[in-house]
Amino acid sequence: MLAQVTGRPELLGVPADTPLFGAGVGLDSLAGTLLLRQVQRRYGVDVAAEDLNLDSLATLGTLAAFIAARRVFHDPGELCTLQHA
Amino acid sequence: MIKCVVWDIDNTLLTGVYLESGAELPAADPRLACVLRELAGRGILSALASRNPPAAADYVQQLTSADFAAVECGWGSKADAIARIAGELSLATDTIAFVDDDMLERAEVGATLPDVLVLTPEEAAEAPGWPEFSPAVITAEARRRSQLYAERRRRQAAANEFGGSRDDFLRHAGTQLTIAPAVPEDLPRLHELSVRTHQLNSAGEPVTQADFASLLASPRDAVITVRLADDFGDDGLVGAAIMTGNGAGSGPDARVPAPVLVVTVPLIMMSCRALGRGALDALLAWLCRAAAADGAAELRVPCLVTERNVPMRLALAAAGLRADRGSVASDGRAIFARLLTGELPALADWVTAP
Repeated sequence: MLAQVTGRPELLGVPADTPLFGAGVGLDSLAGTLLLRQVQRRYGVDVAAEDLNLDSLATLGTLAAFIAARRVFHDPGELCTLQHA
Repeated sequence: MIKCVVWDIDNTLLTGVYLESGAELPAADPRLACVLRELAGRGILSALASRNPPAAADYVQQLTSADFAAVECGWGSKADAIARIAGELSLATDTIAFVDDDMLERAEVGATLPDVLVLTPEEAAEAPGWPEFSPAVITAEARRRSQLYAERRRRQAAANEFGGSRDDFLRHAGTQLTIAPAVPEDLPRLHELSVRTHQLNSAGEPVTQADFASLLASPRDAVITVRLADDFGDDGLVGAAIMTGNGAGSGPDARVPAPVLVVTVPLIMMSCRALGRGALDALLAWLCRAAAADGAAELRVPCLVTERNVPMRLALAAAGLRADRGSVASDGRAIFARLLTGELPALADWVTAP
């Protein structure tokens, strides 16, 4: 999803603990909001409504954990896919 | 040459949200209803793309007596809907215009389908005068506006082709961002921005020209403007902030109340055309640095917390500002703050600032 909203396929391989803001991924307001919308559409979790400070967006890992904690997964394989999505 | 305009429904063709209006359904926007008739008279098609049940499309059809050549009512992305409409009508995407009040929908479509002419409802109201819509008379102003949109499309297409990061593209495009104190000539544009910016606006309410003028004259306040240009075109004054100093805050050691300088930013606003171009990040970084240079220990940005201004909250988070959950006031504003010690956000090298 991250690779898709930023239009940068090289982000497909980024490690889960890479900071999303800042030099590495450099997520800006536009890409960030599009990412949150995709998350809402795909996983039904409205991160912006529940996380005032958007701390869950620190890294891909924290975001995946935030979503996982709020979503019931019907298929255990989905959680794995989420972490790599 | 535009052959088909794809319209959003909620807050675009309708003056409200179809599914949220209960028994009293929203009216059609009168200006856009006029545009629909005008375009139909010129043989330009109209279509609908909306995240609504099909009944919404029937309602709009009935209200406006318009004939919609294609209707995509579903829950997927607008870009996909437009691509399907283009396919259905056998039209190339560079003959399609898309109108949506939501900045993010516009940004998503602009990024996915750079050939599509993407317009706000306000722009759509004026667009029939532009060369692309083949009016009988084309004014100089209309030509200039349509040129602005051509510049935007070229920039977007170049951004899509570019391989590197967003910052690399901005540098490559010769981005020039100028931060400067406001001058009286800026007042009309400042007021206009305060009225028109919704999603990139921390205060959520307009500021009159007179109020801006008082702020310019006041020694305690500063009004800071942001101008943006690059090789593709010059967008002029795209954003601004108000800074107010001399607030008292609690220092790091709260048992010893010391008058510590706190700089408050009662308003930050940015035009949606500056989205994705580093302008908001640059303004916030500059505000942190300027406040620190003035000897302030803390920067505070009261910000309305709504689903519409998530991009603003993202920019605040990226600049290191955080709000205490308990600080959300009854007016829906939270106080985002950060200390001005340690590492402050970097200013990009294409920024010119005092």
